[in-house]
Amino acid sequence: MNPRLVRLLGSIGLDLLRSLAIAAGIVVFTFFVIRMIPGDVVDLKGIEGSLTYSQQSAMREELGLNRGWLDQFWLWLGMVFSGDLGMSARYSTPIADLLATVIPSTLALGAAALGIGLVLGIGLPTLACLFPRSIFVALVEFITIWSITIPTFSIGILCVIVFAVWLGWIPAIGNFAVPALILGLDIAGTIAKMLHEDMTEIQTADFIRTARAKGLARVRIVLRHILPNALTTVIALIGLILASVLTGALTMEIVFGLPGLGTLALQAIKGRDYPVVQAVIIWLGFAVVMANFVTDMVQKLVDPRLRNL
Amino acid sequence: MSAASISRAGGLSLPRWSRLTYVAIIIVAIALFVSVTSPLLVTHDPYMFSASMNEPPNAEHILGTDDQGQDVYSRLVTGTGLSLLYGASAALVALFLGGLVGLFAMALGKVAEGILFGLVDLIRAMPGILFALAFIVAFEPGVESVILALGISFAPNFALITRATYLQQTARPYTSAAKVLGASRLRVAFVHILPNVAGALITQFAIILPRCIVSESVLSFLGLGVSPETPTWGRMIASATSYTEDAPHAVLAPIIALSLVTFSLAIIGNELRTRFDPSRRRIAL
Repeated sequence: MNPRLVRLLGSIGLDLLRSLAIAAGIVVFTFFVIRMIPGDVVDLKGIEGSLTYSQQSAMREELGLNRGWLDQFWLWLGMVFSGDLGMSARYSTPIADLLATVIPSTLALGAAALGIGLVLGIGLPTLACLFPRSIFVALVEFITIWSITIPTFSIGILCVIVFAVWLGWIPAIGNFAVPALILGLDIAGTIAKMLHEDMTEIQTADFIRTARAKGLARVRIVLRHILPNALTTVIALIGLILASVLTGALTMEIVFGLPGLGTLALQAIKGRDYPVVQAVIIWLGFAVVMANFVTDMVQKLVDPRLRNL
Repeated sequence: MSAASISRAGGLSLPRWSRLTYVAIIIVAIALFVSVTSPLLVTHDPYMFSASMNEPPNAEHILGTDDQGQDVYSRLVTGTGLSLLYGASAALVALFLGGLVGLFAMALGKVAEGILFGLVDLIRAMPGILFALAFIVAFEPGVESVILALGISFAPNFALITRATYLQQTARPYTSAAKVLGASRLRVAFVHILPNVAGALITQFAIILPRCIVSESVLSFLGLGVSPETPTWGRMIASATSYTEDAPHAVLAPIIALSLVTFSLAIIGNELRTRFDPSRRRIAL
Protein backbone atom coordinates (compact mmCIF):
# COMPACT_ATOMS: atom_id res chain seq x y z
CA MET A 1 0.00 0.00 0.00
CA ASN A 2 1.05 3.53 -0.60
CA PRO A 3 3.10 4.61 2.48
CA ARG A 4 1.54 8.06 2.34
CA LEU A 5 -1.92 6.59 2.56
CA VAL A 6 -0.83 4.38 5.46
CA ARG A 7 0.41 7.41 7.32
CA LEU A 8 -2.79 9.33 6.65
CA LEU A 9 -4.96 6.42 7.79
CA GLY A 10 -2.78 5.80 10.85
CA SER A 11 -2.99 9.39 11.92
CA ILE A 12 -6.75 9.46 11.39
CA GLY A 13 -7.04 6.21 13.37
CA LEU A 14 -5.17 7.76 16.29
CA ASP A 15 -7.49 10.75 16.20
CA LEU A 16 -10.45 8.43 16.24
CA LEU A 17 -9.10 6.61 19.31
CA ARG A 18 -8.53 9.91 21.06
CA SER A 19 -12.03 11.09 20.26
CA LEU A 20 -13.52 7.85 21.55
CA ALA A 21 -11.51 8.15 24.76
CA ILE A 22 -12.74 11.70 25.28
CA ALA A 23 -16.34 10.65 24.57
CA ALA A 24 -16.01 7.89 27.15
CA GLY A 25 -14.53 10.41 29.58
CA ILE A 26 -17.53 12.68 29.10
CA VAL A 27 -19.92 9.81 29.84
CA VAL A 28 -18.15 8.85 33.09
CA PHE A 29 -17.51 12.39 34.25
CA THR A 30 -21.05 13.58 33.63
CA PHE A 31 -22.56 10.66 35.47
CA PHE A 32 -20.49 11.19 38.60
CA VAL A 33 -20.74 14.98 38.76
CA ILE A 34 -24.49 14.84 38.32
CA ARG A 35 -24.75 12.13 40.95
CA MET A 36 -23.04 14.41 43.48
CA ILE A 37 -25.96 16.81 43.41
CA PRO A 38 -27.63 16.61 46.82
CA GLY A 39 -31.30 15.64 46.72
CA ASP A 40 -33.10 14.01 43.82
CA VAL A 41 -36.21 14.59 41.80
CA VAL A 42 -38.27 12.54 44.27
CA ASP A 43 -37.20 14.82 47.13
CA LEU A 44 -38.24 17.84 45.10
CA LYS A 45 -41.64 16.37 44.29
CA GLY A 46 -42.01 15.42 47.95
CA ILE A 47 -41.32 19.02 49.00
CA GLU A 48 -43.84 20.23 46.49
CA GLY A 49 -46.26 17.99 48.40
CA SER A 50 -47.47 15.91 45.50
CA LEU A 51 -46.20 12.56 46.83
CA THR A 52 -46.73 10.54 50.00
CA TYR A 53 -43.80 8.78 51.63
CA SER A 54 -44.67 5.35 50.23
CA GLN A 55 -45.18 6.85 46.77
CA GLN A 56 -41.74 8.41 47.11
CA SER A 57 -40.04 5.11 47.85
CA ALA A 58 -42.00 3.42 45.07
CA MET A 59 -40.82 6.08 42.64
CA ARG A 60 -37.21 5.68 43.79
CA GLU A 61 -37.51 1.94 43.30
CA GLU A 62 -38.87 2.44 39.81
CA LEU A 63 -36.19 4.95 38.80
CA GLY A 64 -33.43 2.85 40.34
CA LEU A 65 -32.49 5.71 42.67
CA ASN A 66 -32.38 3.42 45.70
CA ARG A 67 -29.50 1.38 44.34
CA GLY A 68 -25.81 2.11 44.82
CA TRP A 69 -23.96 4.57 42.60
CA LEU A 70 -22.00 1.87 40.85
CA ASP A 71 -25.11 -0.19 40.13
CA GLN A 72 -26.79 2.88 38.70
CA PHE A 73 -23.71 3.61 36.64
CA TRP A 74 -23.59 0.15 35.00
CA LEU A 75 -27.30 0.21 34.39
CA TRP A 76 -27.05 3.56 32.75
CA LEU A 77 -23.90 2.73 30.78
CA GLY A 78 -25.76 -0.19 29.23
CA MET A 79 -28.54 2.16 28.28
CA VAL A 80 -26.19 4.71 26.69
CA PHE A 81 -24.65 1.98 24.53
CA SER A 82 -27.98 0.62 23.45
CA GLY A 83 -28.97 4.15 22.46
CA ASP A 84 -31.76 4.26 25.04
CA LEU A 85 -31.64 7.63 26.79
CA GLY A 86 -34.05 6.63 29.53
CA MET A 87 -37.00 8.53 30.90
CA SER A 88 -37.23 12.03 32.27
CA ALA A 89 -37.70 11.52 35.98
CA ARG A 90 -39.89 14.60 36.21
CA TYR A 91 -42.18 14.39 33.23
CA SER A 92 -42.14 10.59 32.84
CA THR A 93 -41.60 10.99 29.10
CA PRO A 94 -38.74 9.37 27.19
CA ILE A 95 -35.77 11.72 27.07
CA ALA A 96 -35.33 10.93 23.41
CA ASP A 97 -38.76 12.50 22.78
CA LEU A 98 -37.90 15.58 24.85
CA LEU A 99 -34.64 16.01 22.96
CA ALA A 100 -36.33 15.42 19.63
CA THR A 101 -38.73 18.29 20.25
CA VAL A 102 -36.02 20.82 21.21
CA ILE A 103 -32.98 19.85 19.15
CA PRO A 104 -34.41 21.17 15.87
CA SER A 105 -34.85 24.65 17.36
CA THR A 106 -31.33 24.71 18.78
CA LEU A 107 -29.95 23.45 15.49
CA ALA A 108 -31.96 26.05 13.57
CA LEU A 109 -30.61 28.85 15.76
CA GLY A 110 -27.07 27.49 15.51
CA ALA A 111 -27.29 27.00 11.76
CA ALA A 112 -28.70 30.48 11.16
CA ALA A 113 -25.96 32.00 13.31
CA LEU A 114 -23.28 29.91 11.62
CA GLY A 115 -24.61 30.92 8.20
CA ILE A 116 -24.49 34.62 9.06
CA GLY A 117 -21.08 34.11 10.65
CA LEU A 118 -19.59 32.35 7.64
CA VAL A 119 -21.04 34.74 5.04
CA LEU A 120 -19.93 37.88 6.90
CA GLY A 121 -16.78 36.34 8.34
CA ILE A 122 -15.46 35.17 4.99
CA GLY A 123 -17.13 37.75 2.77
CA LEU A 124 -15.97 40.90 4.51
CA PRO A 125 -12.24 40.09 4.72
CA THR A 126 -12.32 38.95 1.07
CA LEU A 127 -13.91 42.21 0.01
CA ALA A 128 -11.47 44.10 2.22
CA CYS A 129 -8.61 42.31 0.47
CA LEU A 130 -10.07 43.04 -2.96
CA PHE A 131 -10.69 46.70 -2.19
CA PRO A 132 -8.00 47.67 0.36
CA ARG A 133 -9.09 51.29 0.57
CA SER A 134 -12.80 50.73 0.91
CA ILE A 135 -15.25 50.73 3.77
CA PHE A 136 -14.86 46.94 4.03
CA VAL A 137 -11.56 47.26 5.92
CA ALA A 138 -13.28 49.37 8.54
CA LEU A 139 -16.15 46.89 8.67
CA VAL A 140 -13.76 44.01 9.28
CA GLU A 141 -12.16 45.94 12.12
CA PHE A 142 -15.57 46.81 13.49
CA ILE A 143 -16.92 43.25 13.68
CA THR A 144 -13.58 42.01 15.00
CA ILE A 145 -13.57 44.45 17.89
CA TRP A 146 -17.32 43.88 18.35
CA SER A 147 -16.95 40.16 18.82
CA ILE A 148 -13.95 40.49 21.10
CA THR A 149 -15.52 43.07 23.36
CA ILE A 150 -19.32 42.68 23.33
CA PRO A 151 -20.53 39.53 25.09
CA THR A 152 -23.63 38.03 23.46
CA PHE A 153 -25.24 37.88 26.87
CA SER A 154 -25.17 41.63 27.58
CA ILE A 155 -26.13 42.66 24.08
CA GLY A 156 -28.91 40.06 24.11
CA ILE A 157 -30.47 41.46 27.26
CA LEU A 158 -30.09 45.01 25.97
CA CYS A 159 -31.84 44.02 22.75
CA VAL A 160 -34.70 42.40 24.67
CA ILE A 161 -35.15 45.59 26.70
CA VAL A 162 -34.87 48.02 23.80
CA PHE A 163 -36.56 46.17 20.94
CA ALA A 164 -39.06 44.03 22.80
CA VAL A 165 -40.03 45.94 25.91
CA TRP A 166 -39.62 49.56 24.85
CA LEU A 167 -40.13 49.65 21.12
CA GLY A 168 -42.28 46.54 20.88
CA TRP A 169 -40.73 45.66 17.50
CA ILE A 170 -40.13 42.03 18.43
CA PRO A 171 -41.97 39.74 20.84
CA ALA A 172 -40.23 39.53 24.23
CA ILE A 173 -40.39 35.75 24.11
CA GLY A 174 -39.62 33.54 21.14
CA ASN A 175 -37.94 35.94 18.71
CA PHE A 176 -35.57 34.09 16.45
CA ALA A 177 -33.97 36.66 14.14
CA VAL A 178 -32.32 38.88 16.76
CA PRO A 179 -30.52 36.12 18.70
CA ALA A 180 -29.41 34.54 15.41
CA LEU A 181 -28.02 37.90 14.29
CA ILE A 182 -26.26 38.53 17.62
CA LEU A 183 -24.64 35.10 17.60
CA GLY A 184 -23.86 35.36 13.90
CA LEU A 185 -22.05 38.68 14.34
CA ASP A 186 -20.06 37.20 17.19
CA ILE A 187 -18.89 34.27 15.06
CA ALA A 188 -18.32 36.47 12.04
CA GLY A 189 -15.94 38.60 14.08
CA THR A 190 -13.91 35.57 15.18
CA ILE A 191 -13.62 34.25 11.64
CA ALA A 192 -13.00 37.65 10.06
CA LYS A 193 -10.18 38.42 12.48
CA MET A 194 -8.19 35.32 11.61
CA LEU A 195 -8.95 35.47 7.94
CA HIS A 196 -8.06 39.13 7.65
CA GLU A 197 -4.75 38.62 9.46
CA ASP A 198 -3.88 35.64 7.30
CA MET A 199 -4.89 37.29 4.05
CA THR A 200 -2.80 40.35 4.84
CA GLU A 201 0.13 38.11 5.66
CA ILE A 202 -0.21 35.92 2.56
CA GLN A 203 -0.44 39.01 0.35
CA THR A 204 3.26 39.61 0.94
CA ALA A 205 4.27 36.01 0.12
CA ASP A 206 6.52 35.25 -2.83
CA PHE A 207 3.99 33.24 -4.78
CA ILE A 208 1.58 36.15 -4.74
CA ARG A 209 4.28 38.43 -6.14
CA THR A 210 4.84 35.86 -8.86
CA ALA A 211 1.14 35.70 -9.60
CA ARG A 212 1.05 39.46 -9.81
CA ALA A 213 4.11 39.54 -12.06
CA LYS A 214 2.39 37.10 -14.41
CA GLY A 215 -0.25 39.77 -14.82
CA LEU A 216 -3.11 37.92 -13.16
CA ALA A 217 -6.15 40.01 -12.34
CA ARG A 218 -6.50 41.09 -8.73
CA VAL A 219 -9.82 39.28 -8.36
CA ARG A 220 -8.22 36.06 -9.51
CA ILE A 221 -5.24 36.45 -7.18
CA VAL A 222 -7.47 37.10 -4.19
CA LEU A 223 -10.04 34.40 -4.90
CA ARG A 224 -7.78 31.66 -6.27
CA HIS A 225 -4.48 32.21 -4.43
CA ILE A 226 -4.93 34.20 -1.23
CA LEU A 227 -8.35 33.05 -0.01
CA PRO A 228 -7.86 29.25 -0.24
CA ASN A 229 -4.55 29.48 1.61
CA ALA A 230 -6.01 31.67 4.32
CA LEU A 231 -9.06 29.42 4.68
CA THR A 232 -6.95 26.59 6.12
CA THR A 233 -6.83 28.48 9.43
CA VAL A 234 -10.59 28.82 9.43
CA ILE A 235 -10.94 25.09 8.76
CA ALA A 236 -8.60 24.38 11.66
CA LEU A 237 -10.90 26.27 13.95
CA ILE A 238 -14.25 24.99 12.70
CA GLY A 239 -14.49 22.61 15.66
CA LEU A 240 -13.97 25.42 18.15
CA ILE A 241 -16.36 27.65 16.21
CA LEU A 242 -19.06 24.98 16.25
CA ALA A 243 -18.58 24.52 19.98
CA SER A 244 -18.94 28.23 20.62
CA VAL A 245 -22.02 28.39 18.38
CA LEU A 246 -23.64 25.66 20.46
CA THR A 247 -22.74 27.24 23.80
CA GLY A 248 -23.79 30.65 22.53
CA ALA A 249 -27.09 29.23 21.32
CA LEU A 250 -27.84 27.89 24.80
CA THR A 251 -27.41 31.32 26.38
CA MET A 252 -29.36 33.10 23.65
CA GLU A 253 -32.25 30.64 23.99
CA ILE A 254 -32.54 31.41 27.67
CA VAL A 255 -32.23 35.18 27.23
CA PHE A 256 -34.78 35.29 24.40
CA GLY A 257 -37.08 32.61 25.83
CA LEU A 258 -36.69 30.27 22.86
CA PRO A 259 -37.31 26.55 23.21
CA GLY A 260 -34.17 24.47 22.84
CA LEU A 261 -31.48 22.46 24.56
CA GLY A 262 -30.44 25.41 26.73
CA THR A 263 -33.90 26.04 28.11
CA LEU A 264 -34.46 22.31 28.55
CA ALA A 265 -31.17 21.90 30.42
CA LEU A 266 -31.87 24.85 32.69
CA GLN A 267 -35.34 23.56 33.58
CA ALA A 268 -33.93 20.10 34.15
CA ILE A 269 -31.19 21.41 36.44
CA LYS A 270 -33.70 23.43 38.45
CA GLY A 271 -36.05 20.44 38.63
CA ARG A 272 -33.22 18.01 39.55
CA ASP A 273 -34.13 15.90 36.56
CA TYR A 274 -30.68 14.26 36.32
CA PRO A 275 -31.30 11.94 33.38
CA VAL A 276 -32.24 14.92 31.20
CA VAL A 277 -29.24 17.00 32.33
CA GLN A 278 -26.94 14.05 31.66
CA ALA A 279 -28.41 13.46 28.24
CA VAL A 280 -28.06 17.11 27.21
CA ILE A 281 -24.45 17.43 28.40
CA ILE A 282 -23.44 14.11 26.86
CA TRP A 283 -25.00 14.72 23.48
CA LEU A 284 -23.64 18.25 23.25
CA GLY A 285 -20.24 16.89 24.29
CA PHE A 286 -20.44 14.16 21.65
CA ALA A 287 -21.34 16.76 19.05
CA VAL A 288 -18.26 18.82 19.94
CA VAL A 289 -15.97 15.76 19.95
CA MET A 290 -17.30 14.71 16.58
CA ALA A 291 -16.93 18.20 15.15
CA ASN A 292 -13.31 18.25 16.34
CA PHE A 293 -12.64 14.85 14.83
CA VAL A 294 -14.13 15.79 11.47
CA THR A 295 -12.17 19.05 11.56
CA ASP A 296 -8.90 17.20 12.12
CA MET A 297 -9.70 14.78 9.33
CA VAL A 298 -10.63 17.48 6.83
CA GLN A 299 -7.52 19.40 7.79
CA LYS A 300 -5.31 16.40 7.16
CA LEU A 301 -6.97 15.78 3.82
CA VAL A 302 -6.51 19.35 2.60
CA ASP A 303 -3.13 20.02 4.20
CA PRO A 304 -0.58 17.19 3.77
CA ARG A 305 1.85 18.84 6.21
CA LEU A 306 -0.34 17.76 9.13
CA ARG A 307 -0.32 14.06 8.38
CA ASN A 308 2.61 13.20 10.64
CA LEU A 309 1.84 10.79 13.39
CA MET B 1 11.32 49.97 15.22
CA SER B 2 8.57 50.10 17.77
CA ALA B 3 6.44 47.18 18.81
CA ALA B 4 3.46 48.79 17.16
CA SER B 5 4.95 48.98 13.71
CA ILE B 6 6.24 45.40 13.85
CA SER B 7 2.88 43.93 14.55
CA ARG B 8 1.33 46.06 11.82
CA ALA B 9 2.13 43.22 9.47
CA GLY B 10 -0.15 41.09 11.61
CA GLY B 11 -3.25 42.82 10.36
CA LEU B 12 -5.17 45.31 12.48
CA SER B 13 -3.25 48.53 12.66
CA LEU B 14 -2.51 49.30 16.29
CA PRO B 15 -2.21 53.06 16.54
CA ARG B 16 -5.82 53.53 15.46
CA TRP B 17 -7.14 51.69 18.44
CA SER B 18 -4.80 53.03 21.06
CA ARG B 19 -7.00 56.06 21.77
CA LEU B 20 -9.76 53.60 22.55
CA THR B 21 -7.30 51.78 24.78
CA TYR B 22 -6.73 54.95 26.80
CA VAL B 23 -10.48 55.33 27.27
CA ALA B 24 -10.62 51.67 28.31
CA ILE B 25 -7.82 52.12 30.83
CA ILE B 26 -9.59 55.14 32.32
CA ILE B 27 -12.85 53.18 32.63
CA VAL B 28 -11.12 50.26 34.31
CA ALA B 29 -9.26 52.65 36.63
CA ILE B 30 -12.57 54.24 37.62
CA ALA B 31 -14.09 50.80 38.23
CA LEU B 32 -11.13 49.82 40.41
CA PHE B 33 -11.35 53.09 42.31
CA VAL B 34 -15.06 52.58 42.86
CA SER B 35 -14.59 49.04 44.09
CA VAL B 36 -11.96 50.05 46.61
CA THR B 37 -13.83 53.07 47.92
CA SER B 38 -17.39 51.73 47.60
CA PRO B 39 -18.15 51.88 51.36
CA LEU B 40 -17.53 55.62 51.16
CA LEU B 41 -19.49 56.13 47.95
CA VAL B 42 -22.77 54.42 48.87
CA THR B 43 -25.68 56.64 49.85
CA HIS B 44 -27.86 53.85 51.29
CA ASP B 45 -27.33 50.40 52.75
CA PRO B 46 -27.18 48.25 49.60
CA TYR B 47 -28.85 45.35 51.43
CA MET B 48 -31.69 47.32 53.01
CA PHE B 49 -35.21 46.79 51.70
CA SER B 50 -37.70 49.64 51.71
CA ALA B 51 -41.30 50.31 50.77
CA SER B 52 -40.41 52.62 47.89
CA MET B 53 -40.14 50.04 45.12
CA ASN B 54 -39.26 50.56 41.45
CA GLU B 55 -38.87 54.32 41.91
CA PRO B 56 -37.37 56.15 38.95
CA PRO B 57 -34.15 58.08 39.58
CA ASN B 58 -34.71 61.03 41.92
CA ALA B 59 -32.88 63.23 44.39
CA GLU B 60 -33.08 60.63 47.17
CA HIS B 61 -32.10 57.67 45.00
CA ILE B 62 -29.75 58.80 42.23
CA LEU B 63 -30.43 55.72 40.11
CA GLY B 64 -33.85 54.90 41.56
CA THR B 65 -34.82 51.78 43.45
CA ASP B 66 -35.37 48.17 42.39
CA ASP B 67 -38.24 45.75 42.94
CA GLN B 68 -37.24 45.27 46.59
CA GLY B 69 -36.97 48.99 47.24
CA GLN B 70 -33.18 48.76 47.39
CA ASP B 71 -31.09 51.69 46.20
CA VAL B 72 -29.81 50.85 42.71
CA TYR B 73 -26.86 53.23 42.89
CA SER B 74 -25.56 51.80 46.18
CA ARG B 75 -25.99 48.23 44.95
CA LEU B 76 -24.26 49.08 41.69
CA VAL B 77 -21.30 50.61 43.50
CA THR B 78 -21.02 47.67 45.90
CA GLY B 79 -21.49 45.25 43.01
CA THR B 80 -18.58 46.75 41.08
CA GLY B 81 -16.09 45.41 43.61
CA LEU B 82 -17.85 42.06 43.96
CA SER B 83 -18.18 41.43 40.23
CA LEU B 84 -14.54 42.36 39.62
CA LEU B 85 -13.40 40.29 42.62
CA TYR B 86 -15.33 37.17 41.65
CA GLY B 87 -14.34 37.47 38.00
CA ALA B 88 -10.68 38.01 38.88
CA SER B 89 -10.69 35.11 41.34
CA ALA B 90 -12.15 32.78 38.73
CA ALA B 91 -9.58 33.91 36.16
CA LEU B 92 -6.79 33.42 38.72
CA VAL B 93 -7.98 29.91 39.52
CA ALA B 94 -8.00 29.18 35.79
CA LEU B 95 -4.50 30.66 35.43
CA PHE B 96 -2.99 28.56 38.22
CA LEU B 97 -4.83 25.36 37.34
CA GLY B 98 -4.12 25.65 33.63
CA GLY B 99 -0.53 26.79 34.10
CA LEU B 100 0.30 24.04 36.60
CA VAL B 101 -1.39 21.30 34.59
CA GLY B 102 0.36 22.51 31.45
CA LEU B 103 3.82 22.66 33.04
CA PHE B 104 3.51 19.30 34.84
CA ALA B 105 2.14 17.63 31.74
CA MET B 106 4.99 18.87 29.60
CA ALA B 107 7.72 18.26 32.20
CA LEU B 108 6.69 14.72 33.12
CA GLY B 109 6.85 13.33 29.63
CA LYS B 110 4.61 11.88 26.96
CA VAL B 111 2.36 9.75 29.17
CA ALA B 112 1.56 12.59 31.56
CA GLU B 113 1.02 14.89 28.60
CA GLY B 114 -1.40 12.42 27.04
CA ILE B 115 -3.42 11.98 30.22
CA LEU B 116 -3.50 15.58 31.39
CA PHE B 117 -4.21 17.05 27.98
CA GLY B 118 -6.86 14.37 27.53
CA LEU B 119 -8.51 15.92 30.59
CA VAL B 120 -8.09 19.35 29.07
CA ASP B 121 -9.80 18.18 25.88
CA LEU B 122 -12.53 16.60 27.96
CA ILE B 123 -13.35 19.90 29.64
CA ARG B 124 -13.12 21.74 26.34
CA ALA B 125 -15.58 19.33 24.76
CA MET B 126 -18.29 20.10 27.26
CA PRO B 127 -20.19 23.33 26.69
CA GLY B 128 -18.74 25.70 29.30
CA ILE B 129 -21.99 27.06 30.57
CA LEU B 130 -23.54 23.61 31.07
CA PHE B 131 -20.39 22.34 32.72
CA ALA B 132 -20.44 25.24 35.15
CA LEU B 133 -24.16 24.79 35.80
CA ALA B 134 -23.81 21.08 36.61
CA PHE B 135 -20.73 21.70 38.72
CA ILE B 136 -22.37 24.46 40.74
CA VAL B 137 -25.49 22.45 41.42
CA ALA B 138 -23.36 19.47 42.46
CA PHE B 139 -21.38 21.52 44.98
CA GLU B 140 -24.31 23.65 46.10
CA PRO B 141 -24.65 27.18 44.70
CA GLY B 142 -22.44 29.81 46.26
CA VAL B 143 -19.52 32.10 45.59
CA GLU B 144 -16.90 29.37 45.97
CA SER B 145 -18.62 26.99 43.57
CA VAL B 146 -19.04 29.72 40.98
CA ILE B 147 -15.37 30.69 41.16
CA LEU B 148 -14.20 27.09 41.04
CA ALA B 149 -16.55 26.10 38.23
CA LEU B 150 -15.52 29.06 36.08
CA GLY B 151 -11.88 28.50 36.99
CA ILE B 152 -12.00 24.90 35.82
CA SER B 153 -13.91 25.62 32.64
CA PHE B 154 -11.46 28.37 31.62
CA ALA B 155 -8.31 26.49 32.73
CA PRO B 156 -7.87 24.69 29.35
CA ASN B 157 -7.12 28.05 27.67
CA PHE B 158 -4.14 28.51 29.97
CA ALA B 159 -3.00 24.91 29.67
CA LEU B 160 -2.95 25.17 25.87
CA ILE B 161 -1.04 28.45 25.95
CA THR B 162 1.46 26.90 28.36
CA ARG B 163 1.99 23.93 26.07
CA ALA B 164 2.48 26.07 22.98
CA THR B 165 4.96 28.35 24.75
CA TYR B 166 6.72 25.42 26.41
CA LEU B 167 7.32 23.78 23.04
CA GLN B 168 8.76 27.02 21.70
CA GLN B 169 11.01 27.40 24.71
CA THR B 170 12.38 23.85 24.67
CA ALA B 171 13.78 24.59 21.24
CA ARG B 172 15.92 27.34 22.77
CA PRO B 173 19.54 26.62 23.82
CA TYR B 174 19.03 27.66 27.44
CA THR B 175 16.81 24.65 28.16
CA SER B 176 19.38 22.25 26.73
CA ALA B 177 22.05 24.07 28.74
CA ALA B 178 20.07 23.58 31.93
CA LYS B 179 19.56 19.91 31.09
CA VAL B 180 23.25 19.39 30.39
CA LEU B 181 24.07 20.95 33.76
CA GLY B 182 22.01 18.21 35.36
CA ALA B 183 18.76 20.01 36.15
CA SER B 184 15.78 17.69 36.51
CA ARG B 185 12.86 18.00 34.11
CA LEU B 186 10.69 19.62 36.76
CA ARG B 187 13.47 22.06 37.62
CA VAL B 188 13.89 23.01 33.99
CA ALA B 189 10.12 23.48 33.70
CA PHE B 190 9.51 25.48 36.85
CA VAL B 191 12.78 27.38 37.30
CA HIS B 192 13.87 28.01 33.73
CA ILE B 193 10.85 27.80 31.47
CA LEU B 194 8.14 29.17 33.78
CA PRO B 195 9.52 32.74 33.77
CA ASN B 196 9.33 32.68 29.99
CA VAL B 197 5.79 31.31 29.94
CA ALA B 198 4.61 33.88 32.49
CA GLY B 199 4.22 36.68 29.94
CA ALA B 200 1.94 34.62 27.72
CA LEU B 201 -0.08 33.51 30.74
CA ILE B 202 -0.55 37.08 31.93
CA THR B 203 -1.69 38.19 28.50
CA GLN B 204 -4.13 35.31 28.43
CA PHE B 205 -5.34 36.33 31.88
CA ALA B 206 -6.18 39.78 30.55
CA ILE B 207 -8.26 38.14 27.80
CA ILE B 208 -10.02 35.66 30.08
CA LEU B 209 -10.81 38.15 32.87
CA PRO B 210 -13.69 39.94 31.11
CA ARG B 211 -15.11 36.60 30.02
CA CYS B 212 -15.08 35.39 33.61
CA ILE B 213 -16.90 38.51 34.74
CA VAL B 214 -19.56 38.01 32.07
CA SER B 215 -19.86 34.30 32.85
CA GLU B 216 -20.44 35.06 36.52
CA SER B 217 -23.26 37.38 35.44
CA VAL B 218 -24.74 34.72 33.16
CA LEU B 219 -24.71 32.16 35.98
CA SER B 220 -26.32 34.61 38.38
CA PHE B 221 -28.83 35.50 35.68
CA LEU B 222 -29.75 31.81 35.45
CA GLY B 223 -30.28 31.77 39.19
CA LEU B 224 -27.28 29.57 39.92
CA GLY B 225 -24.64 32.10 40.81
CA VAL B 226 -24.12 33.90 44.07
CA SER B 227 -26.92 34.13 46.64
CA PRO B 228 -29.87 36.39 45.70
CA GLU B 229 -29.12 39.23 48.13
CA THR B 230 -25.50 39.64 46.93
CA PRO B 231 -25.46 42.67 44.66
CA THR B 232 -23.22 41.45 41.85
CA TRP B 233 -24.18 42.90 38.48
CA GLY B 234 -25.49 39.58 37.22
CA ARG B 235 -27.72 39.21 40.25
CA MET B 236 -29.06 42.75 39.78
CA ILE B 237 -29.79 42.04 36.13
CA ALA B 238 -31.49 38.77 37.03
CA SER B 239 -33.87 40.27 39.56
CA ALA B 240 -34.59 43.39 37.50
CA THR B 241 -35.40 41.70 34.17
CA SER B 242 -38.87 40.80 35.44
CA TYR B 243 -39.63 44.51 35.90
CA THR B 244 -38.27 46.05 32.72
CA GLU B 245 -41.56 47.91 32.13
CA ASP B 246 -41.81 49.46 35.60
CA ALA B 247 -38.17 49.94 36.43
CA PRO B 248 -35.99 49.98 33.29
CA HIS B 249 -33.28 51.87 35.20
CA ALA B 250 -32.82 48.93 37.58
CA VAL B 251 -31.76 46.62 34.75
CA LEU B 252 -30.07 49.23 32.54
CA ALA B 253 -27.68 50.42 35.26
CA PRO B 254 -26.01 47.04 35.89
CA ILE B 255 -26.06 45.98 32.24
CA ILE B 256 -24.40 49.23 31.17
CA ALA B 257 -21.83 48.94 33.97
CA LEU B 258 -21.15 45.34 33.02
CA SER B 259 -20.88 46.16 29.32
CA LEU B 260 -18.58 49.16 29.88
CA VAL B 261 -16.17 47.32 32.15
CA THR B 262 -16.02 44.08 30.16
CA PHE B 263 -15.67 46.10 26.95
CA SER B 264 -12.75 48.05 28.43
CA LEU B 265 -11.06 44.96 29.83
CA ALA B 266 -11.44 43.18 26.51
CA ILE B 267 -9.95 46.15 24.65
CA ILE B 268 -6.97 46.17 27.02
CA GLY B 269 -6.53 42.41 26.77
CA ASN B 270 -6.66 42.54 23.00
CA GLU B 271 -4.18 45.39 22.91
CA LEU B 272 -1.80 43.46 25.19
CA ARG B 273 -2.06 40.42 22.98
CA THR B 274 -1.41 42.22 19.71
CA ARG B 275 1.50 44.06 21.28
CA PHE B 276 3.17 41.27 23.20
CA ASP B 277 2.51 38.03 21.46
CA PRO B 278 1.47 38.41 17.88
CA SER B 279 2.62 34.88 17.13
CA ARG B 280 0.10 33.32 19.47
CA ARG B 281 -2.84 35.39 18.38
CA ARG B 282 -4.68 32.42 16.94
CA ILE B 283 -4.64 30.11 19.93
CA ALA B 284 -6.77 32.21 22.19
CA LEU B 285 -10.21 32.06 20.69
